[in-house]
Amino acid sequence: MGKRPLWERLRPYVLIAPAMAGIGLFVIYPVLYLIYLGFYKYNLMNKAKSKFVGWDNFQQILTRGDFYKALGNTAIYTAGVVILTVGLSLIIAVWLNKKSRINSLVQAGIFTPHIVSIVSISLVWLWLMDPEQGLLNFMLESFGLPASDWLQSSKTALLSVIIVSVWQNIGYYTLIIVAALQSVPPSIYEAAALDNASRFKVFTKITLPMISPQLFFILVIMTIGSFKVFDTVKIMTGGGPNNATNTLVYYIYGFRTTNIGYSAATGTILMAIIGVLTLIYFRLLAKKVHYQ
Amino acid sequence: MRKGSPLVKIFDWRSLASVLGVLLKAAVVMVFIFPFLWMISTSLQTLRETLAFPPTWIPAVPQWNNFVEAMSAGPFLMYARNSVVITVSIIVLQFAVMIPAAYAFAKYRFRGKSVLFGFVLLAFMIPGQITFIPVYLLMADFGLIHSLWPQIIPFMSNAFGIFLLRQYFMQIPEEIIEAARLDNAGAIKVIWRIMLPMAGPALATIALFSFVSHWNEYFWPLVMTNSEAIRPLTLGIAMLRETEGISNWHIIMAGNVVLVVPILLVYAFCSRHIVKAFVYSGIK
Amino acid sequence: MASIQFVNVSKAFEKNAVIQNLNLTMEDGAFTVLVGPSGCGKTTLLRMIAGLGPQTSGQVLIDGKDVSRIPPGQRGVAMVFQNYAIYPTMSVRENIEFGLRNNKIPKAERVQLVESISETVGLLDYLDRKPSALSGGQRQRVALARAMVKKPSVFLMDEPLSNLDAKLRVQMRIELIELHKKLGTTFVYVTHDQVEAMSMADTIVLMNQGEIQQEAPPHEIYHQPSNLFTAQFIGVPSMNIGDLGVDGVKFGFRPENASLSAATATREHSGPAPHYSLQGTIVTREMLGAETIYQVRSKDLSFMVKSPEDAYHVDQEVVLGVEASKLHFFGFDEIRIPANDPGIAGYLEALKGKSHG
Repeated sequence: MGKRPLWERLRPYVLIAPAMAGIGLFVIYPVLYLIYLGFYKYNLMNKAKSKFVGWDNFQQILTRGDFYKALGNTAIYTAGVVILTVGLSLIIAVWLNKKSRINSLVQAGIFTPHIVSIVSISLVWLWLMDPEQGLLNFMLESFGLPASDWLQSSKTALLSVIIVSVWQNIGYYTLIIVAALQSVPPSIYEAAALDNASRFKVFTKITLPMISPQLFFILVIMTIGSFKVFDTVKIMTGGGPNNATNTLVYYIYGFRTTNIGYSAATGTILMAIIGVLTLIYFRLLAKKVHYQ
Repeated sequence: MRKGSPLVKIFDWRSLASVLGVLLKAAVVMVFIFPFLWMISTSLQTLRETLAFPPTWIPAVPQWNNFVEAMSAGPFLMYARNSVVITVSIIVLQFAVMIPAAYAFAKYRFRGKSVLFGFVLLAFMIPGQITFIPVYLLMADFGLIHSLWPQIIPFMSNAFGIFLLRQYFMQIPEEIIEAARLDNAGAIKVIWRIMLPMAGPALATIALFSFVSHWNEYFWPLVMTNSEAIRPLTLGIAMLRETEGISNWHIIMAGNVVLVVPILLVYAFCSRHIVKAFVYSGIK
Repeated sequence: MASIQFVNVSKAFEKNAVIQNLNLTMEDGAFTVLVGPSGCGKTTLLRMIAGLGPQTSGQVLIDGKDVSRIPPGQRGVAMVFQNYAIYPTMSVRENIEFGLRNNKIPKAERVQLVESISETVGLLDYLDRKPSALSGGQRQRVALARAMVKKPSVFLMDEPLSNLDAKLRVQMRIELIELHKKLGTTFVYVTHDQVEAMSMADTIVLMNQGEIQQEAPPHEIYHQPSNLFTAQFIGVPSMNIGDLGVDGVKFGFRPENASLSAATATREHSGPAPHYSLQGTIVTREMLGAETIYQVRSKDLSFMVKSPEDAYHVDQEVVLGVEASKLHFFGFDEIRIPANDPGIAGYLEALKGKSHG
């Protein structure tokens, strides 16, 4: 190649400049600054009075019970949401796999909650789960079952939040799994039928491995998504009762004005957890995932 | 089975199973749709009806007044306007930033490309729940905290959109672009007249996706806004619970209907596109 | 109309030199076909003319002017791509007039041009259709019309017929020949199909591994191949080649220039003996209709024979014969030894000695 004119060589950089500026300013810089803030006692009123405190914030976090409570809640929430959502959407997807009008209608119906604001979802479920006038308890009682305190008891609150999240997300993941199922070439099933494979064998030996890349993707996305749970908690429980639904992001949110350094340090820890989880996923599952 | 006469087929297991299947499907759909119907029903009930036992399924007289009451609990017209301005601005800004970037990442070779694209993917993975404190401080430094900007510019680089559009651009055969160059079309014309029309489905996907997620956004405006004048609809509705009191469910649900119905209407009319858009975003 | 010249042209991708110091002139108004196996550099040359993949060094001249710094759209060339490269989101009309629009041709003139061209290629009724609603042959015509409408001085075609079915391909071949006659423009046509090359070209440029093997009209390239590669590339089945056993020289003859006779037949009936003859067995037989192709094997030699007769059968013993005038000889450097070379008589004698039966 002869020397191309300067403008020719600069052009791609000019084209991506706005996008990279946005990412730099609103993703990369904030991440770095967040880590930096974690080492300071930040003074919101007067920045100059901010004090470097070393590992203090982190030490404090790791010795406080409420942090571990929030961490534990988030972990339980994530495990619950991931297991329930993947399990249920896999079942529904296999059930609705066949291409037909009614199935796509059902899929569209199940998907509806996913496009509605979490604010609305939370409010509706708050109303449904109202222990006194709520419809859910009415239905439980009319079936002769004991009523539940749902969001208002520390025993059931976290589970209630999990239910709402699973309910909102099943439709989305069902759609993805159905699309994955339908992308498996039919000739493979025909070959399996000629090899006299049982339905169970076909599912475990062919279907699951074939859709494993999408399942893997779902696991990663869902884990990251669940670890940052906030909206439902903020609207439905406010972290209560008795911190039973306090989660990491809600915890960070709680300190965002009163103790920015501490809040930032917690954010750094959350980021580290998400990073490590993603890495573990990629390490563990990438080996077992089938790629074409 | 073949030799059974038609008379034996009075009881046909197969069609019974299919009827049961349809019923089960209807029941499952109800699980996901009913809460919204219940929301609408409640929004039209009187306070007495909402407290009744057993519950009122259909209000005796629809209480349209609930909506008036809900909407007068705050400056909802302003909230709605803010929501529209924010959502539209984000989409326009995102497209202006995304298209050249996706084009460069798809069609140019340049030093550092893979590292820079790695940053795009990284941005895809890092949620606002982690970056909000520094971004807030940044916005405060810029003196923008009392404007709508903090809810718009942080979203200027849509990493998902850049990624998806790049995929689409890469699939466009090189020959078509070369043909256009031979037709004396410059880079801008190639993008505008050839590549963008060919990437139509991707653009629709990105726009729908962006619209839904930013119209529904709750966390970001919550941490970015300190004053009523710049709040979007979601925040306004969420605050109804505080302004209206906890047990005024008919009013809260009326406000909720105002927030939900526009998006449900959009969904009802182009559910197929939206479903496709979301599936696409999930697979790629 | 324009001539095209390559002067000391080289092209490298990354570090791989594809073409080195190539010189070639294509005459004004000629139908030049670049042919060769895939990867031989023929498409690379075409793209240099178009300006889509500029040369690494050297010059490309169109009509005597160095075009190295002129962008593709302003070189006065038009190109038809292998996959047509039709703009899928534009109607047929928009496809054809896109170049005119970009060249700021006034609307009235544009309309008139588009309609007259689409009349020529038979697309007049399809102007408002989208490409997806067209057949393969119609798309081909859109691509042609799009090139023609610009009235280019050079027409470039990159395997334009390879995506058509066999029948349509033959028909389009004839149409292209007629088109060339009518326009009188310089055509540069790339193909890997020697039949296309033979049937359409004024001049064939046969390439291999970035080098020009021979540049000649079809009849010359067929009857006087300049080297072993050309001899074997052009012609189906390809030329039979055998070792002479003298100075590393090889001999060769075309399958249709060998005659067959049954081994049992007596010499008296078969007239004067051919210069070279070989007794062997028929191993395979392909009956193609007007002619039959036999593979004759004798010990380590195996030759193809194309014969108008289909009387012989597999496993039959036959005698294969070739006239002296139909024999070609190639030196150890694989270059063809011309018929008037003083050494030829000796080679013919040596070959006669190798005859069997």
